[in-house]
Amino acid sequence: MSFDLQLIIESLPVMLMGIGITFKLLVISGVLGLLLAICLLLMRISGLWYLNIPAQIYIYVFRGTPILVQIFIVYYGLPQFESVRESIFWPILREPTGCAILALSLNTGAYVSEILRGGVLGVDKGVLEAGSALGMSAHQKFIYITTPIATRLALPAYSNDVISLLKSTALASTITIADMTGIARTIVADTYAPYEIFISLAVVYMIFTFGLQKLFGIIEGYLGQYTKRE
Amino acid sequence: MSITENRPLIQMQNVNKFFGDFQALKNVNLEVRKGERIVVCGPSGSGKSTMIRCINRLEEHTDGHIVIDGNTLTDKVKDINAVRREVGMVFQNFNLFPHMTIVKNLMIAQQLVRNTSKNDARETAMFYLERVKIPEQAQKYPIQLSGGQQQRVAIARALCMKPEIMLFDEPTSALDPEMINEVLEVMVDLAKEGMTMICVTHEMGFARSVADRIIFMDLGEIVEEAAPEEFFDNPKSERTKKFLSQILSH
Amino acid sequence: MDVLAGWWDDYFWGAVVVGKVFFCSLALMIIFGLLGAMAKLSNSRVAQKIAGAYTVVFRGTPEILVVLLLYFGSAVVLTAIAQVFNPEIKFVDVPPFWAGTIAISIIVGSYATETFRGAFLGVHPGSIEAARALGMSDLQTFVYVRIPEMWRLALPPFGNHMLSLVKDTALISIIGLNETMFVAKQAITVTGKPFTMYIVVGAIYLGFSTVVTLFVMGAEKFGERTTVGAK
Repeated sequence: MSFDLQLIIESLPVMLMGIGITFKLLVISGVLGLLLAICLLLMRISGLWYLNIPAQIYIYVFRGTPILVQIFIVYYGLPQFESVRESIFWPILREPTGCAILALSLNTGAYVSEILRGGVLGVDKGVLEAGSALGMSAHQKFIYITTPIATRLALPAYSNDVISLLKSTALASTITIADMTGIARTIVADTYAPYEIFISLAVVYMIFTFGLQKLFGIIEGYLGQYTKRE
Repeated sequence: MSITENRPLIQMQNVNKFFGDFQALKNVNLEVRKGERIVVCGPSGSGKSTMIRCINRLEEHTDGHIVIDGNTLTDKVKDINAVRREVGMVFQNFNLFPHMTIVKNLMIAQQLVRNTSKNDARETAMFYLERVKIPEQAQKYPIQLSGGQQQRVAIARALCMKPEIMLFDEPTSALDPEMINEVLEVMVDLAKEGMTMICVTHEMGFARSVADRIIFMDLGEIVEEAAPEEFFDNPKSERTKKFLSQILSH
Repeated sequence: MDVLAGWWDDYFWGAVVVGKVFFCSLALMIIFGLLGAMAKLSNSRVAQKIAGAYTVVFRGTPEILVVLLLYFGSAVVLTAIAQVFNPEIKFVDVPPFWAGTIAISIIVGSYATETFRGAFLGVHPGSIEAARALGMSDLQTFVYVRIPEMWRLALPPFGNHMLSLVKDTALISIIGLNETMFVAKQAITVTGKPFTMYIVVGAIYLGFSTVVTLFVMGAEKFGERTTVGAK
């Protein structure tokens, strides 16, 4: 049993053709998920039970079930309903890519909203009191005090979640999407060389992860300027 | 609005405050006139902080009346904001906005609450920064300043809103000893200019030299109220005597 | 709902499989996590580097990839070994249960390494010094001082790792494990109701997640009994 370097050299470019799809899944789901997370966060901290409770239930369900199941429900499950097949969303929901993006967004939205909430809760109460004492309204305090501080606090956990999202994009391969993992599985089925293919693919993901970590490191450095004593 | 120079700015009548079952304030009656300098002292848990925090509604009094410069303090946001505009507060832990520069800390409330223009806000900010003697720190962030400097900035920030009353909640308790004086000096200057102030503190030297009246609180009640000479030399209540002996012995 | 009639037992046995995977992977995850943490905290540069590589590799690689690699990879290895003894053999199958369980244990174990490491470092140095001053041996200090403080610190993130194990079990269905997803697939071909079938799968996993979460909450309360209160 030998390690076929030639195979890797031939297969990598093919797998990397899927990087565009991986990237697309990551960015679109990431952005949509973040928007959803902000909505859920506002619902959670609104103080209104009819917003808070549904948000909590949503988060509980989406964090408590496997992302794979969620993907399958969207892709395989939704077409069960005629109302879905006849709706205006059908062109999106018929395509595996659209389904993957939907499922990933719904999932990451739940996780990120809790991360944002953690940031909001981490803001020093005393600083908020100072804002109150100066006469700032609740609205003003949220925009000028809570949001900047909470964003910086939430960033490390958020960067971890983005990396998780990257890894979850690989699951798109289970619903026939030809992302990097999807292509890899096809190659392995043909060549029966799982080590060469999967290990080299893993390296690609690790490089991608490393890049994301560096990127977030830069953002954290920029946002955290006011925390340095020098 | 009152015309007389000596009008009552703060009136607390029969104020009670409960935290659940615990009664933090018992039947507190207090009147503070314009220009008066009040020092509140007492053992921890006596309700001193709670009392002044009720004045700007950082705590809600359970019953009784609180009237600040003619504005009755109620649940309504309008009433609360009317009061907070007139009352400035300095906290034990400074509570500067960590993510804003010093000058921005001083400007933000002016811009948001009084709709002051950016330039006017900056002018006022620099004016008060000079008053507290640290104009050169304007572009720094709070974390880069010492505790004493941060507290002076906090005082300037409250002053930028041109309040009628200043509340100080143990302003020097979180400071290293060598920095206490620089803050007390600012407060003494403020007192000399006639600012109406209520100061919760353990700094008895400051109390003796600056206060018009000293209020001693214990277990949520005002036990004794007197001018400094009488308070220190001739305390009437046993509890006051006990407290004074404890804090003045070192 | 009668479309589900007749499928309940299959789902039940599928859920049992999920439970089995959970307990096996939990044990392995703790072992991998502790080994990794001790390697990182040890004085050996080699051990630290290996543990470092372990965490970087498995935190940066998609879980599905690790599952596939372990499954197909071990099949290749075992087939090659078997062919040495009996050249007739074309293919040796590896039970998806073990390939999958080991895969997810390794993955979550890499996160647990960081959690345990952080928890060990979080033990108050003062407590250790006090134990030494009292003459306790290293082993006694470890058992009676380090571990009790450490598991309380590790508990919240550890709870998340347990939830990850529960949810990652669904991935093993991809390599043919006969758990709930697999049952759903079969049920769909018969009933033609994919939504319903996968919702049941989701509900079963949600049930497991809830049990784990409640357990962690209970454990946190238990931990607090003896530590919270002294101020």
